[in-house]
Amino acid sequence: MVLFMAGLGCCVLGVVAATVISLERRVIVVTLVGSVGCLLTFTAASQVLVSGRAESFHSSLVLPLAGINLTLDPLGALFVAMTSFVGVATLVYCVGYARGELRSRSALSLLLVFLMSLLVVPAASSVVTLMFFWELMALSSMLLIMVEQRRRVETRVAAQWYGAMTQLGAASILLGLLLLSTKGGQTFGDIRSHVAALSPTLRSFAFVLTLIGFASKAGAVPFHVWLPKAHPEAPSPVSALMSSAMVAMGVYGIVRVGNDLLGGGTLWWWIIVVALGVVSALFGALHAVTSVDLKRLLAYSTIDILGLVLIGVGCSGALAASGHPRTAHLALIGALLLVVSHAAFKGCLFLGVGAIERATGSRSLDHLGGLIRRIPISTALFVVGALSIVAVPAFSGFTSEWLLLQGLLHGFVGKSSPTLIMLLVGVVALALTGGLTAVAFVKVIGIGFLGQARSTAAASAHEVPRTMQIGMGILCIPCVVLGVAPGIVIPLLNRAIQTGHSSSVSRPVETGIGLSLVHLRGAIEPMLLLAGFVVIVAVIAGANSIRRRPARKVEAWRGGGDRPTARMQYTATSYAEPLQRVFADVLRPEIDVEVTHAVESHYYEQSLSYESRVGDAIERLAYQPAIRAVTRVGLAARRIQNGSVHRYLAFGFIALLIILVVLA
Amino acid sequence: MSTSFYIGALELATGAVLVCAVMTLWRRQVRTIVTMLRLQGVALACVAGVLAWHEHDLGLAITALLVLAVKGVLVPWLLRRVIRRDPRSRETAPLINVPASLVSAAFLIVVSYVVTSKLTALAPSAATRLVPIGVATVLVGYFMLVTRRRAVSQIVGLLLVDNGIALVTFLLTAGVPLIVELGSTLDVLLVVVVLQVLVVNTGARHGSFDLDEMRELHD
Repeated sequence: MVLFMAGLGCCVLGVVAATVISLERRVIVVTLVGSVGCLLTFTAASQVLVSGRAESFHSSLVLPLAGINLTLDPLGALFVAMTSFVGVATLVYCVGYARGELRSRSALSLLLVFLMSLLVVPAASSVVTLMFFWELMALSSMLLIMVEQRRRVETRVAAQWYGAMTQLGAASILLGLLLLSTKGGQTFGDIRSHVAALSPTLRSFAFVLTLIGFASKAGAVPFHVWLPKAHPEAPSPVSALMSSAMVAMGVYGIVRVGNDLLGGGTLWWWIIVVALGVVSALFGALHAVTSVDLKRLLAYSTIDILGLVLIGVGCSGALAASGHPRTAHLALIGALLLVVSHAAFKGCLFLGVGAIERATGSRSLDHLGGLIRRIPISTALFVVGALSIVAVPAFSGFTSEWLLLQGLLHGFVGKSSPTLIMLLVGVVALALTGGLTAVAFVKVIGIGFLGQARSTAAASAHEVPRTMQIGMGILCIPCVVLGVAPGIVIPLLNRAIQTGHSSSVSRPVETGIGLSLVHLRGAIEPMLLLAGFVVIVAVIAGANSIRRRPARKVEAWRGGGDRPTARMQYTATSYAEPLQRVFADVLRPEIDVEVTHAVESHYYEQSLSYESRVGDAIERLAYQPAIRAVTRVGLAARRIQNGSVHRYLAFGFIALLIILVVLA
Repeated sequence: MSTSFYIGALELATGAVLVCAVMTLWRRQVRTIVTMLRLQGVALACVAGVLAWHEHDLGLAITALLVLAVKGVLVPWLLRRVIRRDPRSRETAPLINVPASLVSAAFLIVVSYVVTSKLTALAPSAATRLVPIGVATVLVGYFMLVTRRRAVSQIVGLLLVDNGIALVTFLLTAGVPLIVELGSTLDVLLVVVVLQVLVVNTGARHGSFDLDEMRELHD
């Protein structure tokens, strides 16, 4: 715990450093101090994960009245370690990335406050501590979204949406946790010992309330509307931290409250979680396919991966509730591993988009192209992230989704029909989402990095500073390591979920270098897969070199037209058009086609413009009417306030009289 | 001091506080209203003095002198200066006319007797039986805040509220620690000084002391 506290101390020191140090050295000092802090917390969390022993800290000095309670148990330590890792990578990346507003005192200190609160949230072990740092996390990230608000007005709108949604979520969580602590004590220990005395209705109510709050943080549909607005507008390092670490806190919260504090619960709780997960996974994946803005695409893919995680968490809870602890553990391990690898690959991808933006000044796919030749190193790192997210074997996404799928498939032994239906839907959603994600990232790589440049900026892109590449590279390490040798983290995950379930089952997954499931049929050896792949490539390359043929150069067929130009290539919009057409009922795209005819004849077209916008259907159908209604009420309430001092005083006077009379 | 004399003196002084409060609603002349306020300050100081004598409390005696100095002398003097600067505010312009105001005051006094009955029942004594009068003073002051237009009458209303609160404090607790009383009394002085500057400046800039004419200032 000493190391952990020292790490937090470093973050605080970094905040101070950000405010006092002059501009030239500010970024390097702040990132250095912050990185040291993250390394310390990473070490502390790894120790806990390896030893499996929880450590606690209590001080009544930090927060008034309640004091601060921290406990680093294996479940929290997993999230702390993950956050620290992403934190180091992001801070290193910042050294090269930080320009303009991001170098200001306020932005840098806020970045470290955000990082610190992200580190404390999974370690908090009382309601007050959790809510305090949860709010700190929300507010600091909201301000970080607005770092560039002087130049770009749309950041303010994004921050407004984010602020409203996160505050509603926090209120819901607070209400839920308060319900749980009604029997005495607000520390998690007290809640655990008293929760059995609460009525089942109250427990369910508390679970649903906290679920709403945590699910909105995890970007679950229909509480996701803030996410595709906030993530694109924030500076790339902030987007990376938000998408990989902050969103994961939603999952942490659900696991902590549902599995740990409430000790499992009933079947229908977890069916809700799975339903949220299925809808988010499909909705997010579909929008990711049709997005043209790279950051928006990544934001929607965050929604879809977190949806998969929720499917895993929900199925695990449901299986545990219906008496299948072994498969429940398997699904939960898969879900948590997916969270961890999502942190790595999504962090890497967001940082990669930051690099693209720095190199070309644009993040719209329709302005990119041919980047592989201009910025080869960034491209390679981005591709590692992309391979990981589409779950190509020997990358982290594959391992986690494989475990998740095994958990779902082996759960079919159960007899209860709601569970069976739920698992079936989960498997189908997992498969469909996997396919759609692959389409989305084939689009990103194909349109963005291959082919010809679609704009002069993309044609003259320059490689980004070395520190930015290192930052992305750090996040590529877990993408590969978790894929090739998942055996090294599975024991740690086993320990992390032991805190959750009451019935402790010993190790559902046997680990060597590869994985094999205990008492169930299923094993993978990624190392062998990789070796086989290398051998096949070597054989093909060897065979080619033996019968070498001279390459023939011919001109491409161009249908009788002139020389092919960059504008004749596939665009991001045209690539996604067939899918957009298939899923038009869900996506509700708005398409404008405008044809101008020649004056001479109606049969000749002079120009043609095509525009398609895919807005968020849920925002348009559910949120906009609600906002309009609230605005109407607000305007009506203004009629009471006519600016007369006497009227305001009279309100106070009458209220005082009413209170006096009622109390008497 | 004999008990009957103590009770009589206390009742007389407390009653005078309330009578002064009601008189401020009755009179139209702002000068008269300030005079009433001065008399009320003196009566309040008398309440504190009588209590100090009865309890043999030196701190309360000092408080009484302080109240006399601030609320009986200093604050009315400051208000006079405001009136002299603003010839238009010779008369109050009530939103509710005087007879209706007096009826309302009677109603408010009844209300305060009703609502404080539980409070006095907690510890019945000569002093606590008079608490309703303090509450009534607060309500009358608040009523004045709501129904009078001129800035000066607003200040007077605020001071009535403050005097009422002070009266309740004296009667219920036989005086709070001297340092607290010192703080609150000096606070009142500060408020009056600030409001005086504000009123004079607003008058100079907008040519009016009428709060109703400041309506466009809302957002």
